[in-house]
Amino acid sequence: MAMCAALRCVSANFSAALPLLTRPAHIWTCQNSLRPNVLRTLSTSSRLSGALKFTDKHEWVRVEGTVGTVGISNFAQEALGDVVYCGLPEVGAKLEQMEEFGALESVKAASELYSPLTGEVTEINTNLTDNPGLVNKACYEDGWLIKMTIEKPAELDELMDEAAYEKFIKSLDS
Amino acid sequence: MILRLSNRACVLSGSARLKSTLSTFFDEMGKAGIILKSASTGIFENLALEDWIHDHVDLQNRSMLLLWRNCPVVVIGRHQNPWQECNLPLMRRLGIPLARRRSGGGTVYHDFGNINMTFFTSKKKYDRHRNLKVVTGALKALRPDLDVAATDRFDILLNGNHKISGTAAKLGRTSAYHHCTLLCSVERSVLSSVLKSNASEVIKSNATPSVPSPVKNLLDVDPTLDSNIIMDAIVSQYNNEFGFDGPVITVDPTHEALMPGIQKMAQDLQTWDWIYGKTPKFSVCTSIVVNDVNIKLDMVIKNGTVEQCAMEIPEDWLPSEMVNEFTSALNGSRYCSNEAALLVAAFMRTHSMTDDVAEKIHRLCAGVVSVM
Repeated sequence: MAMCAALRCVSANFSAALPLLTRPAHIWTCQNSLRPNVLRTLSTSSRLSGALKFTDKHEWVRVEGTVGTVGISNFAQEALGDVVYCGLPEVGAKLEQMEEFGALESVKAASELYSPLTGEVTEINTNLTDNPGLVNKACYEDGWLIKMTIEKPAELDELMDEAAYEKFIKSLDS
Repeated sequence: MILRLSNRACVLSGSARLKSTLSTFFDEMGKAGIILKSASTGIFENLALEDWIHDHVDLQNRSMLLLWRNCPVVVIGRHQNPWQECNLPLMRRLGIPLARRRSGGGTVYHDFGNINMTFFTSKKKYDRHRNLKVVTGALKALRPDLDVAATDRFDILLNGNHKISGTAAKLGRTSAYHHCTLLCSVERSVLSSVLKSNASEVIKSNATPSVPSPVKNLLDVDPTLDSNIIMDAIVSQYNNEFGFDGPVITVDPTHEALMPGIQKMAQDLQTWDWIYGKTPKFSVCTSIVVNDVNIKLDMVIKNGTVEQCAMEIPEDWLPSEMVNEFTSALNGSRYCSNEAALLVAAFMRTHSMTDDVAEKIHRLCAGVVSVM
């Protein structure tokens, strides 16, 4: 096959959104570092303190400033089994509290994810694309799912704090 | 006649139940286990029926089994890539549609020789092994010598080596469903040809893959086993296994008054955005050969739409501005052979070019379309 003198590579990349993978790594400091199988109980948790709040669907949200980070609890990841795929929303998606925003596929089933709050998605955890198992290995840290704005801070008061959530999951076993 | 109660003399008429939905009807029946048969063979209507039951029926103290069959269709799992899983051009030629279901799992081919079973329970009672015991139990009750067994992947194997059933599931807020197939008398030659992708080698993706398995029909080992006999056996076994005395009710999934919102659910399942647009981001990397010239094509497809498109073309083969415009035209378009063909036709109309160039663009397009 004759190759001509110059090969010109012509590409057109009109995508407005650069792939998130090219962004520099986000350094995220966690005030309460929690190992998956140890839950520290906190006496007070103001809205801005970074404490975890839980839904009865086993999602957690951690508030830092005006941004909430969302993930699933240890109880949930154990019940799910090995996560093989994370179906997450786009950045900019507007979510209502309790609205389905995605699904995690595990060896058990496709499980829907429900938004703990009303707000807009500001970031999704792109590490989960190649490493969905992070949801099992570090559900409160590297296995976070999305970050979102908090449109209705009062919704946080409706959620359970860690102690209440612990009680809640104990009651489920009965 | 929307509801027929087989084994019971009375028939429910629509007018007497105008205020009721299917959900309240079940509540009033007061049975812990109910068996439904769908009156439809349309995949979208049946998938919508599953969704409707899952969303609206109280399954905390009640379980249900739905039996359904479809006209020929390929069904992919929620997070799968259809271009990677099946032969879309062949399916189009054969008139076989594609559907994406909401549960996980792999790609399957349905036709009238396949029985689908959906087991609805509360999340607490979700137990796939037990459900599959109903199926294997039913088959063994019919033919005690039949070698059928469930694996830990929740497949059912015949004679230890041929797959006759695959499983998928969805877990919702408070309830769950587990559905599985059962190959009775499916057209196996169609099955194997449509489930072999024409483009899998050129696709790179992290979508959930299928696990291909050799399959067999139950009819192959016993010509007296037909779908109706098998469905009856499954109904009995379901009642036995769970201690129910569930009646069998036939439901028409197009009946909007009985199941408010179901028609929209069926429509949502048929949108391009759901079927194709839900495909996880993937890239296509292939070479198109036109008259001994090798053209490298790289594309990134997100939400079923071309997000990036690059072609490596020798400088003197086609003018570079033309190539630029060609790739720009593809950008932002749906990864769809019909749409690509329309784009190229429009491109040809709006750009003056020699016959030679036109021929090359045509061949380029054919190459691009061959992986769609």
